[in-house]
Amino acid sequence: VCCRVSPLQKAQVTSLVKKGARKITLSIGDGANDVSMIQAAHVGVGISGLEGMQAVMASDFAIAQFRFLTDLLLVHGRWSYLRICKVVTYFFYKNLTFTLTQFWYTFQTGFSGQRFYDDWFQSLYNVIFTALPVIMVGLFDKDVSASLSKKYPELYKEGIRNTFFKWRVVATLAFFALYQSLIVYNFVIASSSISVDSSGKMFGIWDVSTMAFNCIVVTVNLRLLMMCDTITRWHHISVGGSILAWFVFILLYSGVYTPRGIYSVFYVLISTIYFYVILLLVPVVALFGDFLFQGVQRLFFPYDYQIVQEMHRHEPDGSSAGLLEIGNQLTPDEARSFAVAQLPGEKSKHTGFAFDSPGYESFFASQAGVLAPQKPWDVARRASMRSRAKTPRKN
Amino acid sequence: MSPGAAEGGFETSSAATKKHSKKPKYSRFTQQELPACKPILTPGWVITAFIFIGIIFIPIGLASLFASENVVEIADRYDEDCVPSIYASDTLAYIQSSQTNKSCTKTLTVPKKMKNPIYVYYQLDNFYQNHRRYVKSRSDKQLRSKANEFETKDCSPEATVLVSNKEMPIVPCGLIAWSMFNDTYRFSLNDKAIQVNKKGIAWKSDREYKFGSDVYPKKFQSGVIGGAKLDENIPLSQQEDLIVWMRTAALPKFRKLYGKIEVDLEANEKITVVIQNNYNTYSFRGKKTLILSTTSWIGGKNDFLGIAYLTFGGLCLFMVISFIFLYVVRPRPLGDPSYLSWNRNPDGLLLN
Repeated sequence: VCCRVSPLQKAQVTSLVKKGARKITLSIGDGANDVSMIQAAHVGVGISGLEGMQAVMASDFAIAQFRFLTDLLLVHGRWSYLRICKVVTYFFYKNLTFTLTQFWYTFQTGFSGQRFYDDWFQSLYNVIFTALPVIMVGLFDKDVSASLSKKYPELYKEGIRNTFFKWRVVATLAFFALYQSLIVYNFVIASSSISVDSSGKMFGIWDVSTMAFNCIVVTVNLRLLMMCDTITRWHHISVGGSILAWFVFILLYSGVYTPRGIYSVFYVLISTIYFYVILLLVPVVALFGDFLFQGVQRLFFPYDYQIVQEMHRHEPDGSSAGLLEIGNQLTPDEARSFAVAQLPGEKSKHTGFAFDSPGYESFFASQAGVLAPQKPWDVARRASMRSRAKTPRKN
Repeated sequence: MSPGAAEGGFETSSAATKKHSKKPKYSRFTQQELPACKPILTPGWVITAFIFIGIIFIPIGLASLFASENVVEIADRYDEDCVPSIYASDTLAYIQSSQTNKSCTKTLTVPKKMKNPIYVYYQLDNFYQNHRRYVKSRSDKQLRSKANEFETKDCSPEATVLVSNKEMPIVPCGLIAWSMFNDTYRFSLNDKAIQVNKKGIAWKSDREYKFGSDVYPKKFQSGVIGGAKLDENIPLSQQEDLIVWMRTAALPKFRKLYGKIEVDLEANEKITVVIQNNYNTYSFRGKKTLILSTTSWIGGKNDFLGIAYLTFGGLCLFMVISFIFLYVVRPRPLGDPSYLSWNRNPDGLLLN
């Protein structure tokens, strides 16, 4: 515990912990003298309020009251870590799956560099067909609700131990990306090597690659739903919307004449039973591995948050009770100090004995109808002045 | 000091300060309070999902396998057999010379009754129609309309010919068209010719939209000959062999539709086929195979789909059993707090 420290010393203590103990440090302060400490730490939190806005302007996060720190760390900080991990790992996974299918194809083209997919598929894959759902996860995913996050602060340890972004997690995801790319590529290629239709006609390269791309988009989007702990209406809309956007795109692209190989490819595809048979088979087989892994992991090697989820699975979703509400649930003391702070006189930054005169404050208090408590030195002074003639208090 | 006065005071002051409130406008979206379902993957769900998948996949697999098994296919590799023995050591000289006799007769035996339509394919192996330079070497614009005759940008070296010092475009230009397959097959049974229908072998969209009915071949195969010659009086939209060939295949081993036989073939019949062995696959050790095949609702003779569905459905049911077994052996009650890591090793909180 340090007291009577200058701002420079505050910063030095923070650097000492930061470099010496090699921990992630967070410092919180509300005054101008806290600015150097806030800047020295890894995470600086400023409290906006009576002492001015200097701390807020120098900080990474600004909160209004000190008690909001619990929410910042245990609720939003934790969710933020979870969401970032999911978004980053998902991005790697979906691009790995997509690119590996192209990689397997190079073995069949005499290593000439012929691409498996059409240029537009590749360009729009990350822009339209798989972009929006992962944004939804990044915004809304919650493993446990806010009130549970505060009830089990030990869950915060997941971030400290880096549970969701360890090498093991990333390697598992990469393995399943490899597995899925092999499934998609080989199933589509092996099943279209001879005629797939009763008309006996054969597919060409663009038919096969459009079929494979179709399976990839569906698989990758469904995989995202498997990754979510919370599924809102927006998740359904974005996942369904992305898949729908793909169908709309390919119907247009292969419907409007362009001097490229894709013209009419999709219409040929959907006129065969093969298309639907493959569309049922490939995503299910591709996601089977992940599904099994998740089932086994949750049953035999559960994470803490999963157990907490199960413990409270029957509780209704009282999500509005978790996050802080400002101004509605203040204690009477807090309400009074808030009201006193709103009095015109108190807005002045000059605090001190000279400005605490009871007449000054009590006048405004009585005008506003607020009960301003008596200052202790005032009570003492009046007690000692009992023998003197009383001057009228009212103005 | 009475609570009433305090409350009343607070009410009026809050009424006075409401216009200064900095509280953000409430919406469920911005406060992350959207109603959500929080799915938990309990063993019950896992087992249900696997059973469901198994129940759906196994019948589909059986149906596909049954259909594929009923398809009859005859395959006959002829590129080695159809070189006369005197040229066996110098196949290149044989195939490139225009004087040699390219006719070759082979006999095929029908293993099971084949119902019409019976599709005739030629299969090439080690032929990379998916090579990058090859796939690029065409001009779809030129194929579609006579007005785009001069659009031969990507077709070189088979793009233009010099005719009296003027560059005239080759129609159709490019290596794909230039290397068109030109072996022919004539079938006969008991000295009676079997008709092969060569109409309708290309996809309808190709015939109607991709290959124009006003585009006629010009200056085609005028330099080094790479494959078939085209009749200059027939528009491209009716040259179905060309259309089928130009739909480039995805793999180096591919087959393309040659024609349809529209009569039934009985079991054990001996079909005689006279092959004109024109196409040069000898310079790159490619293989040529003649294939006759019936089809089913799922296509030709490919057990892959049936086997994949059956294997996977069976695997799911096996997973159900092993999951139930594992769950019985090592159960974990749902939502049991004793499994929390800080309850399992209480001093874990002090360590990092």
